[in-house]
Amino acid sequence: MKKILIAGIGAGALVAFGAVAPATASEQNAMLSVLHGIPDTPVDVYVNDELTLDDFQPGDLAGPLELPAGTYSVVLAAPDSTDASEPVLGPIDLPLEAGGNYTAVAHLDADGAPTANLFTNDVSDIAAGEGRLTVRHVAAAPPVDILAGGEAVISNLANPDEQTLNLPAGTVEASVAATGTTDPVLGPAPVDVAEGTLTIVYAWGSLEDENLDLAVQTISGMHSSPDGVPAGSAGLVATNAPEQQFGIWATAGLAILAAIALAAAAARKAVTAKAER
Amino acid sequence: MKGTEAAARVIGSLVAVSAALGLLAGCVAAPSGGGAAPVAPSATASPGADPASRPAAAAPPASVPEIPRQSASLEEQRRAQPPAPTRVEVPALGIDMAVRPVGLDAQGNMALFDDPAVAAWYQWGPAPASGSGSTVIAAHVDSLEYAVLPFAKLRDARPGTLVVVTDAAGTRHSFGVDSLEVIEKGVVDWDAAFDRSGASRLTLITCGGEFDYVNRTYLSNLVLTATPR
Repeated sequence: MKKILIAGIGAGALVAFGAVAPATASEQNAMLSVLHGIPDTPVDVYVNDELTLDDFQPGDLAGPLELPAGTYSVVLAAPDSTDASEPVLGPIDLPLEAGGNYTAVAHLDADGAPTANLFTNDVSDIAAGEGRLTVRHVAAAPPVDILAGGEAVISNLANPDEQTLNLPAGTVEASVAATGTTDPVLGPAPVDVAEGTLTIVYAWGSLEDENLDLAVQTISGMHSSPDGVPAGSAGLVATNAPEQQFGIWATAGLAILAAIALAAAAARKAVTAKAER
Repeated sequence: MKGTEAAARVIGSLVAVSAALGLLAGCVAAPSGGGAAPVAPSATASPGADPASRPAAAAPPASVPEIPRQSASLEEQRRAQPPAPTRVEVPALGIDMAVRPVGLDAQGNMALFDDPAVAAWYQWGPAPASGSGSTVIAAHVDSLEYAVLPFAKLRDARPGTLVVVTDAAGTRHSFGVDSLEVIEKGVVDWDAAFDRSGASRLTLITCGGEFDYVNRTYLSNLVLTATPR
């Protein structure tokens, strides 16, 4: 039952609020972001032989773009290139499935050679009050542990692997240390794990070249609503009378009062009788 | 001839990209009068477009599509949060309550304050200054300890009744009541009430309707929706 007490002029406008920023693409399309994680190497990015990102800088994130599902061929070329014929890296095939959410990352492998990976972002619903944290190791560095508040929350993460956790929303003091150690090579740095949002932290750069850094990407819109709003406990403004229950109590109460009265009367009678004797 | 075909293909893909960007902008852009220039919807000319693109040989400027880019640095992630609401007033009904942020209780419901003078703002959702979505403020309608509470008066609201929410920055946001509904608890569309997208609006929630005198709970929620004015 849905009882409308009043409906004003603007009520119809509620219907128009349908527009939602989608974390997932429409059914036929995919969402793609691109992260540049190769230090000191600006590039031109060609997608299917067309210049798509001109002079793309290390540490920058492009997108998201909504693209029809399919396989895209990507070439990274020097920034002064005129076409995709002289790749710095590639061509790389990016198979994008309908409804998928992806980040293509150009980065260094564990030994420091340029490479690229297509990561799939987990944009499934997140419980109310929580955020999701994904950590990706895309740095020229040995396996690492991710520490939060000094304790390892992710262990032995190697390039180019990733790991995902759901956490209560809030700020995590995150640091990155070589596996089995607690001495940070990166951080500690405050990472905001926002509610209903996927926060992706990339460790990128090169340990040897001393340019390790963190990059962050966020994807929002996976939040859930609370289950309800319990906002009253006394029934004082209820639209129903407490009829039955109240009736029973009233009857019981009267009965008790009556019993007390009778007992008292009897006792008094007894006392009086005694006194008269 | 081959060149024209290529140009046509480039223009085609530009149109597609522009359309995609247009969609994104339409969904994401907050009506805060930001400086982000929308992508020109036409492929024939984009006079305001970034002149830094490579020189175009042909008449249509076959520039690189403007895909949004940003630094992925940690500092960039720290977006300023909109100021939290601190006070809600409905002058016509004599409601004037402090507001404090809450999350969820142990049961997964929106948490509320036992203090009868304090209303709760759902901190994971929008605030009045967010520019979009539903700011949710809720309070108990009554309690065994404090009897009938201020939000009980919400049922007397009328279309257009003024609601003022003050935020931590001191800004007073005025809303006019649009609708007031009493909805059975199992049927309330919480996703609509807590919606973070769409036009900026205010949702006030308390309990109402019939009471279950055995389980000490109301069977319905009172949901008031108000829009900026």
